[in-house]
Amino acid sequence: MEADQSASKEGESCIDLLVIVLDTNPSQHFVRQNPQNLTQILEAVIAFGNAHLMQKAQNKLAVVSCSHHATNFLYPLPRRQVELRQMDGQYEAFNLVEKTVKQQLGSILMNAPRLSAPCESLLAGSMSMALCYISRLQRNLAPGVKMHSRILVLTGSNECASQYMTFMNVFFTAQKLGITIDTCALDKTLSLLQQGCDITSGQFLKVTQLDGLLQYLLWVFLPAPQIRHKLVLPPPPKVDYRASCFCHRELIDIGYVCSVCLSVFCKYSPICTTCHTIFKNPGPLPIKGKKKKKTDKQM
Amino acid sequence: MADTKSGSGRNSAAGGSGNTVLSPLGQGPANLECKDFQEYLRTRQTPESLEKLYNYPPICLAVFRELPEIARQFIIRILFVDQPVPQAVVTSWGAQRCAKEQAEATSCLTALNVWRVTAIPGGLSAWELSPTFKKSVRQVLLGGGKPWPMTNTLDKDSKPRDIAFLDTYAMSRWRCVLHYMVGTGNRNGTDAEAISPDAVRILLHANLMKRDERDGITITRQGFQFLLLDTRAQVWHFMLQYLDTCEERGISLPECLSMLFQLSFSTLGRDYSSEGMNSQMLTFLQHLREFGLVFQRKRKEGRFYPTRLALNVTSKEAAATASVAMDEEATQDCGYIVVETNYRVYAYTDSPLQVAVLGLFTELLYRFPNLVVGVLTRDSVRQALRGGITAEQIVSYLEQYAHPNMRMVESAIHSKSCLPPTVVDQIKLWELERNRFTYTEGVLYNQFLSHTDFVTLRDYAQSIHMLVWQNERTRTMVVQKNGHDDVKRYWKKYSKSGV
Repeated sequence: MEADQSASKEGESCIDLLVIVLDTNPSQHFVRQNPQNLTQILEAVIAFGNAHLMQKAQNKLAVVSCSHHATNFLYPLPRRQVELRQMDGQYEAFNLVEKTVKQQLGSILMNAPRLSAPCESLLAGSMSMALCYISRLQRNLAPGVKMHSRILVLTGSNECASQYMTFMNVFFTAQKLGITIDTCALDKTLSLLQQGCDITSGQFLKVTQLDGLLQYLLWVFLPAPQIRHKLVLPPPPKVDYRASCFCHRELIDIGYVCSVCLSVFCKYSPICTTCHTIFKNPGPLPIKGKKKKKTDKQM
Repeated sequence: MADTKSGSGRNSAAGGSGNTVLSPLGQGPANLECKDFQEYLRTRQTPESLEKLYNYPPICLAVFRELPEIARQFIIRILFVDQPVPQAVVTSWGAQRCAKEQAEATSCLTALNVWRVTAIPGGLSAWELSPTFKKSVRQVLLGGGKPWPMTNTLDKDSKPRDIAFLDTYAMSRWRCVLHYMVGTGNRNGTDAEAISPDAVRILLHANLMKRDERDGITITRQGFQFLLLDTRAQVWHFMLQYLDTCEERGISLPECLSMLFQLSFSTLGRDYSSEGMNSQMLTFLQHLREFGLVFQRKRKEGRFYPTRLALNVTSKEAAATASVAMDEEATQDCGYIVVETNYRVYAYTDSPLQVAVLGLFTELLYRFPNLVVGVLTRDSVRQALRGGITAEQIVSYLEQYAHPNMRMVESAIHSKSCLPPTVVDQIKLWELERNRFTYTEGVLYNQFLSHTDFVTLRDYAQSIHMLVWQNERTRTMVVQKNGHDDVKRYWKKYSKSGV
């Protein structure tokens, strides 16, 4: 009982940092359907971010935009904040978030290069950037101050199997640093990000209706990981732990694994492209020894 | 039984010789009571007046942040739901194993009148957010209301004040109040340490100082405890006392609170406008200026800067971390105390205030121009404890003013406190030493005529959990005071039926 109370007291006194990674790639399905949707999502994200700031005075927020060509910080900005006077009763700090995010995103979208064909979002890169930001803040903390950090990814992109390695690096780094990764998928189920959420014990949620997005965000993602056990949240779904092969960047069920560096290939090749190990000719029974069930091994 | 007197067994209480045990130290009321905002609202405000307060968005934001963690989640979940939510649904949001915590959150929300029970079709009871509260919180979060009064646009200040200046200003103003409290006792508080009659009145009202026949105004025991609080808690306590008296001055309480929280949610180092404030609020602003919560160049100037004292007044943790976070170069110049494991306390200070406070619980050994050396002894700490100061207060004072180098020690970085653990433990043990008694008010029953009488009554008292102490050999028992009536009634019935 006493320990419980002191734990909750500690929870009250530490800083909660939330980094939102927002996918703003114009080739996302919902944006192509109706460009207005992006505005709607942005409004929901801002309201959600402010709700996070509202929880505690010491909470912190960062918003990162992620597109097909670049990753940018929307909030906070490194230089001195713009002079703003709140006009409509909104709390000054929230107003600042809203104005800065909108302004930044506007200018980024205006300056973005035209894209001819649909492109993949650089999600893994943006998440690495978020991790860097978190670790910088962590280092600059005054002694005695604790900070819990988490990353929320909002995306409507397709599976980005080509960034498999980066993703995995991000997930395991986050796990090591104790950072929770939450994902809100707006279009398809993303098995890679799902794996990431599972590894870092975060929440994965697929939202199909954009109308209720804010309510979904507030329900599932607002509670900090430390208090989630006190609330009833959606149960974790069955996670698809398939790996993507290093040769064609596709998710595979069964493949070849290099015995030296554990790279995964969908087809047999005599030389490992990652570590340049030369394998013996498979001989009459190539299946024996070389072939491994990937799913079994990962679990 | 020859000498069967009227009330053979049941003696005492009826005869007025009821042995009421009272706490000889009378600890309760004399101690400084520090309320947080939530307690303040619960004890001082009625549902109607709370409703009135919720018309002010800044107050709602402050109330929201004061709520328990789970309660905040519940509020957020139903903030954008327009109809009442069945209670069963709300209950299902919390995990089973934290039911107790959830019940606490629910009762807290009810007590603060943030939500109330309504009936929905189908005979279910449901929770509904207070409409005023809901409207105000939505406004804080999303905007769409009237601007807060102090955010009128201003021309650029020709001589803007930076954060360092504001900090020095605020601390010097606040120290004036503190110096006044100690200074008057020493009879040298004349020139620079004069504070306004209003402030004095608040100190008197708050029982921090009292008017003495001989010495004029002197500091009280609560006053010394007040000095041991950290600055934020001091400001908050002081402001609560101020708010108590503000109705007398004809300033409306909701407006004051709203103003206080607007300041508390403002940005350090920015100027705000006092344009459009009514005369009462301008008076309030002048008072705040006197205590150092805001900086204003001239009384008539329509521009003021909130200082660090005004920011995040309600939350201790928030203030501590926010101040560090906001400008990383913030120097911790306030730390001047070094505590060693041999109970020696070195304080690099020449301020009589700090020396006086330190002298409350240490035995001062040497005094140099910039250094005071003292030692924490059992006697010195016990003396402080006798004066009503708690061990917690002593420890937190030492922690708060710990020298920056103390925080740099390896062990300090990993543990919560930067003081040597032995010293902290010892101070707490010294306090526990004094708490070997628990005082219970009770009524003594003795002179029972027979053993059975005694056993019957004792067993009855035990069965209703009112028995404090009993001795079979002397046929004596003590019953809690609120159980006395029951036991007496039972005894009457028993003795009647027995005869």
